[in-house]
Amino acid sequence: MYSIVTKNLTKKFKDKVAVNNVNLQINEGELFALLGTNGAGKTTTIKMLSGLIVPTSGDIFIENMDMKTEPYKIKAILNVSPQETAIAPNLSVKENLEFMAGVYGIEEKDKKINELIEQFKLGEVLKKRAKTLSGGWQRKVSIAISLINDPKILFLDEPTLGLDVIARKELWKVIEELKGRITVILTTHYMEEAESLSDRIGIMANGNLADIGTAKEFIEKTGARNFEDAFISIATGGEL
Amino acid sequence: MRILNFSKRNLKELIRDPISLIFEIVLPVFLLFIFKQFNIPAENYRLENFTPGIIVFGFSFITLFTATLIAKDRTSSFLIRLGTSPMKPADFILGYILSLIPIIFFQNVVFFAVAAALGLKLTVNALYTVIVSIAVSVLYISLGILIGSLVSEKGTGGLGSIVVQLVCFTSGMYFPKDQVGGVFAYICECLPFEGSLNIIRAVLNNDTALVSAKNIIVFAVYTVVVTAAAIIVFKKKMVSDNKG
Repeated sequence: MYSIVTKNLTKKFKDKVAVNNVNLQINEGELFALLGTNGAGKTTTIKMLSGLIVPTSGDIFIENMDMKTEPYKIKAILNVSPQETAIAPNLSVKENLEFMAGVYGIEEKDKKINELIEQFKLGEVLKKRAKTLSGGWQRKVSIAISLINDPKILFLDEPTLGLDVIARKELWKVIEELKGRITVILTTHYMEEAESLSDRIGIMANGNLADIGTAKEFIEKTGARNFEDAFISIATGGEL
Repeated sequence: MRILNFSKRNLKELIRDPISLIFEIVLPVFLLFIFKQFNIPAENYRLENFTPGIIVFGFSFITLFTATLIAKDRTSSFLIRLGTSPMKPADFILGYILSLIPIIFFQNVVFFAVAAALGLKLTVNALYTVIVSIAVSVLYISLGILIGSLVSEKGTGGLGSIVVQLVCFTSGMYFPKDQVGGVFAYICECLPFEGSLNIIRAVLNNDTALVSAKNIIVFAVYTVVVTAAAIIVFKKKMVSDNKG
């Protein structure tokens, strides 16, 4: 069963076409990476899929529900960890978790919060105000918050951007643990991240979905030495 | 429940910012105290007239810090996260408005306590004033939401300061508009600050002659228009901030 289906998904900002006729079918429990250069349309696609912005044309179906007619039902079963850390700065880590549990109307709030504290090892920073945490911790908290409603679909927009290598590896471990249980859509600029974590990869270029496949398939298709070269070849249409 | 949950978060954000508390409460209290010491022989500075002025002056900082909170939320991706949650636009607006009510209530209690200590005779009208001033504050909160939706965090400082100055000079808290007259008096009548002060003065003094029908109409029109504009602009900006 498909978790996400888009049909001719298009977004225009005045004359600029940010996303052009994108057709996607993402399987339940799949970790799908969306790659592309800056301005390729990845973030705009994620914002449309998560109901934050309305497409200019085309359709989005999430778990067989139409985004046009059932946006709030869809929003209840998905969650997003945005590109920049999105936490309330003057609230403690625990208060942030409690607040977001309230936003989603979680019934067994304490149980869920304790689960996340354990899963993300947040014990030592629980009482600290979010704004006092390091970038790595803030990102970790941001991702923990995005699991508060046990989402069926999770959007991770460049989750490891700006993190040091250890913090990045720690987050990879967390993301890997989600595989199979939750449909994860990941955008990233790091090729090794997409190659290592994802089941399939979609490459976007100039608002178009240039190709979909696995890292191995892309390497074979382009005859490149590695995935990075394969990506460059596809993203530039073979010009580089 | 979502509204209350969101307003609780907003309240925590606001009260944990010591600068906002200094401007919203300490500065107005200081002015109330210091002007009493000056013993200025003018109607405006009698405690029953100056205390409502201080209340409205405190509201202008509510506008400033509401605007700052919203602009911060917009730029920090926090609203992106909430925009993808099941929260509806009304939850956001009401959540912001409700979070300010306890601060306004607390402001009023502190202002009246200090005014009483300085010699204001407290009657049941003070209680009515608290209730009416909470209703009046909707204009100032909505104005904050509107400014915070329109400009960046840096911009809120500038626009918020303009509101503070306008309240000081056009509300009549320091001097009556007729003392200057002409175009200035006309501007005062066209802005809602004089109306908001006169409404509060009329309630505290139990004297309807202190407020004109024009005051009430101008204030009501501004409140409806600014609140509607705040809702529309906030909704629009939640989408337009997320281009790209």
